[in-house]
Amino acid sequence: MAAIVDRDRRAVGLTTSAGGRPGPGEGRAWRGLGRLLPLLAGAVLFVFPFYYMVVLSLKQRPEVGPAGVVPVGLSLRNYADIDQAIDLGRSLVNSAIFTGGVLFCTVVFGLLAGYALAQLHWRGREVVFYAMLLLLALPFQLLLIPLYVLVARDFGLADSYLGMVLPFALNSAAIFIFRQFFLQLPRELFEAARLDGASELRILATVVVPLSRPAIVTAMLVTFIGPWNEFLWPFLITKQAALQPLAVALANFMSNVMQREPNPAGALMAGAVVLAAPVVILFLFFQRQFVESSVGSGLKG
Amino acid sequence: MAAVTSAPGRGRRRQLRVRVGEHPIGYLFVLPYVVFLAAVYAYPFAFSVYMSFYDWFFAAPGAEVERPFVGLGNYAAALADPLVHVAIRNVAIFLAINVPITVVLSLALAAALNGVVPLRAFFRGAYFVPYVTASVAVVGVWYWLFSGYGLVARLLGPLAPNPPFLVNPRWAIVMIALYVTWKQLGFYVLLYLAALQNIPRELYEAARVDGAGWWRSFLAVTVPGVRPATVLVVILAVVVGANFFTEPYLLTGGGGPDNQSISPVLLIYRYGIEQNHPGYAAAIGVLLVVGVLAVSAVHRFVLERE
Amino acid sequence: MSIGRMLGGVAAGALLLTACGGTGGPSPSAGGHGPIEIWYSNNQQEVAWGKAMVAAWNQQHPGEKVTGEEIPAGKSSEEVIGAAITAGTTPCLIYNTAPAAVPQFQKQGGLVDLSKFPDGNSFIESRTGDRARQYRSPNGDYFQMPWKTNPVMIFYNKDVFQKAGLDPEHPQLQTYEQFLGTAQQVVAKGGVRAAIWPAPTSEFFQSWFDFYPLFIAQSGGKQLIESGQPQFDGPTGLAVAQFWRQLYARGLAPREAAQGDAFGTGQAAMAIVGPWAIAAYTNVHWGVVPVPTQNGMPADQIHTFSDEKSVAMYSSCRHRATAWDFLKFTMSKSNDGKLLEMTGQMPMRTDLPGTYPSYFQTHPAYTLFAQQAARTVEVPNVPNSIEIWQEFRNAYAASVINGSQSIDQAFREAAAKIKQLAG
Repeated sequence: MAAIVDRDRRAVGLTTSAGGRPGPGEGRAWRGLGRLLPLLAGAVLFVFPFYYMVVLSLKQRPEVGPAGVVPVGLSLRNYADIDQAIDLGRSLVNSAIFTGGVLFCTVVFGLLAGYALAQLHWRGREVVFYAMLLLLALPFQLLLIPLYVLVARDFGLADSYLGMVLPFALNSAAIFIFRQFFLQLPRELFEAARLDGASELRILATVVVPLSRPAIVTAMLVTFIGPWNEFLWPFLITKQAALQPLAVALANFMSNVMQREPNPAGALMAGAVVLAAPVVILFLFFQRQFVESSVGSGLKG
Repeated sequence: MAAVTSAPGRGRRRQLRVRVGEHPIGYLFVLPYVVFLAAVYAYPFAFSVYMSFYDWFFAAPGAEVERPFVGLGNYAAALADPLVHVAIRNVAIFLAINVPITVVLSLALAAALNGVVPLRAFFRGAYFVPYVTASVAVVGVWYWLFSGYGLVARLLGPLAPNPPFLVNPRWAIVMIALYVTWKQLGFYVLLYLAALQNIPRELYEAARVDGAGWWRSFLAVTVPGVRPATVLVVILAVVVGANFFTEPYLLTGGGGPDNQSISPVLLIYRYGIEQNHPGYAAAIGVLLVVGVLAVSAVHRFVLERE
Repeated sequence: MSIGRMLGGVAAGALLLTACGGTGGPSPSAGGHGPIEIWYSNNQQEVAWGKAMVAAWNQQHPGEKVTGEEIPAGKSSEEVIGAAITAGTTPCLIYNTAPAAVPQFQKQGGLVDLSKFPDGNSFIESRTGDRARQYRSPNGDYFQMPWKTNPVMIFYNKDVFQKAGLDPEHPQLQTYEQFLGTAQQVVAKGGVRAAIWPAPTSEFFQSWFDFYPLFIAQSGGKQLIESGQPQFDGPTGLAVAQFWRQLYARGLAPREAAQGDAFGTGQAAMAIVGPWAIAAYTNVHWGVVPVPTQNGMPADQIHTFSDEKSVAMYSSCRHRATAWDFLKFTMSKSNDGKLLEMTGQMPMRTDLPGTYPSYFQTHPAYTLFAQQAARTVEVPNVPNSIEIWQEFRNAYAASVINGSQSIDQAFREAAAKIKQLAG
């Protein structure tokens, strides 16, 4: 496991002597067990609500007590019910378009911005960075209505995918990650290319982008979560049910249709599992590429 | 001729260099992001601040309405509003629970995960899963677990509080803090895992040579070694925590029992959007932002001092 | 001054200018005929009715096409409409306008004064009769057209009552004492978790489904505020509050919110709601009685909360003449009848049983609702209406549901604040 981290670090061009597998004490069997047991207990505690969620979504009748934990009497009927109540397929497509748009903008423009903030030198660079940090402290609800007026009235983008994507287009956490990543790349790499006479764009295309894969993967995973789970903004900006992403459809279901279902909690859990599944799967799938070093590097700075 | 003109030309170019820096193309690269920040964050915030000085409400385009200037009136009213006091108290309780637990637990988990551990991928996944799922989805399960007839109450038997957790005025905010801590932990574990990579192995070797056990070396090497990460974790936890909205909105039904679990952002939503008094809501918002920045600054100062 | 900073400043300034200009949106002139848009709630039956109306109209008026859209009917529909008013994106008509939100929408300049149409007042008043008066704005004009009502009554589960040893056809639910006794027995022996399960949460509208209907009944038809004076802090209001307090104190009504519909899923023996909920009660043998009063009253004298939804015309509408015609079309005798048939909700018409005798013959259970619909009371049409209900709910939740304050004191303080808000 530590070897994977080392391999990725070498791929990035880092050859520091920083430890890949430190940790006070190593390898003694009983100490390993002493670490394993609490970890296991904690993991169970963390995962239990999800297990419960999946089990509830598969049950025919809602059971409140401890018996509800045992997976017996399972059926897929709740999934059929929720699909009837809210068009799961259409909502998933909308979520995908919304999230995809944000991912695209963030990777393309965010990479540029992160690189500019890290390796390029221009007056006002630090000002922009601090402004970014400052503005991130603002709660979304404070900005909501002026933003809504801007997007719906002034730009005329109500009921459109573009209107949905706009306030989320560039994920600042991702740009933060890009910046951190680029900060810990050695300057000599770029100086050498510049000395060779390459323009900044050339450097970007031939040097930066190939190197950034781990950072891009990390940034994409972090960026994915926001728009995929976002409820409030798409809810306000779209009226047509055909445009609404799954998180909004589920919330509407909770406040309206749910009353009429024979097993309301079960149907809701089914929808929730459908909403959560892609993110969990994506994360588990990309975990190996999800290098911690790209996130945490430069934390000395 | 060439010798005469080249000197002032070079001087001017150097002057330009100094003014814009070495790589002016940086402006171009960062332009989309700056425009985005200006449109999506700066402008609405500026507008909110503007509104906070007026008895503002949103009107239809072209409608003729009166919006009297009230100066600091909204701020005075906000500071006197008992609900605002409850909200501030709740933020304090929330942060007092959330931040220490987050720092300690995420560091501990990261340290444990960093060593040789079988099924490492499973553990990382397990701790990260709450972070990536939507509250809308997960809240239902927590309801189920913590309601008066739910699993936890059954397990606790006579120890279970009455009224049950989520509707208990004393417990409601604690439940929210625990819920958010549980949900966000994975992200901070990740940050710490990364920081742990940067601690040179030699330091641990040295500690072992000095005869330190795992607890001593944890205190002497690990904790100081991840200081920058700790600063980041604390600041992020404070900023994100102070803005909590979804949890009181969903988990405790819009403000909780007797409004005991309201948060400042929930109040902003209620006054600004439900009741259409955005000027008043903006005043609360500005106070919140100022407060959060002040607390973060203090934290950063204190933590980076040593 | 760095270029980056300058650019940011210019961009922000430009955006600020466009926003403050507010020249976007169509100019509100009393326009003529043409295509219009309408919104209706996403309640299944209402959608079906709405689509039928739109189809019928479009067939007869190809040049004035109507397009219908669903909006979420839940607790956030007012926010959606308020935001749409601000952005100028409201349709011509919204068939889901809550009377409590009308003062706010009116203040925003978002509504069209229906009394300005030549037959405005006459159409509204001839259709709805005396009750129409409650829907007037303070200046005497109509900014909403009362559409349908769901008189709030007490549903009870006949099977549960039978199991508890009570008479399912003649339940003892007329006086507060009887109600409490019945509730006690039903929880003890009926196998339900709660006697009745109104939502204990703090949203501003929840009082419409616990305190307000009983207050209206007990006071013989008073609103929360009348002529600027709060009415709820007198002995009537206190008696109603004390009754609910008993239910909570004795554990007959839970303090947690239910997951889904408590009555429909058999967790509660009774529900306090209007006929729209019947669609969810397919598995329950239900009966209906009017809400209780302190010492009992003849059923034909009991008033209740209307839970009414109006239709409003919004100022962003360009073709107002068409909108007005369509509005009248959907509220004709036959289309009101279709609403009744398709949704089971009561149109705001005078003498429903007399107007639709065949429907009530085939649906005798609904006759009760039709009769009750003649005696419904609305929320007061005053400024800051939503804030007022929130203040009241705060006081009610603290004193009645949680018992952390004395009812007397909480109501008194709330009344003082509300008096100020109502202007």
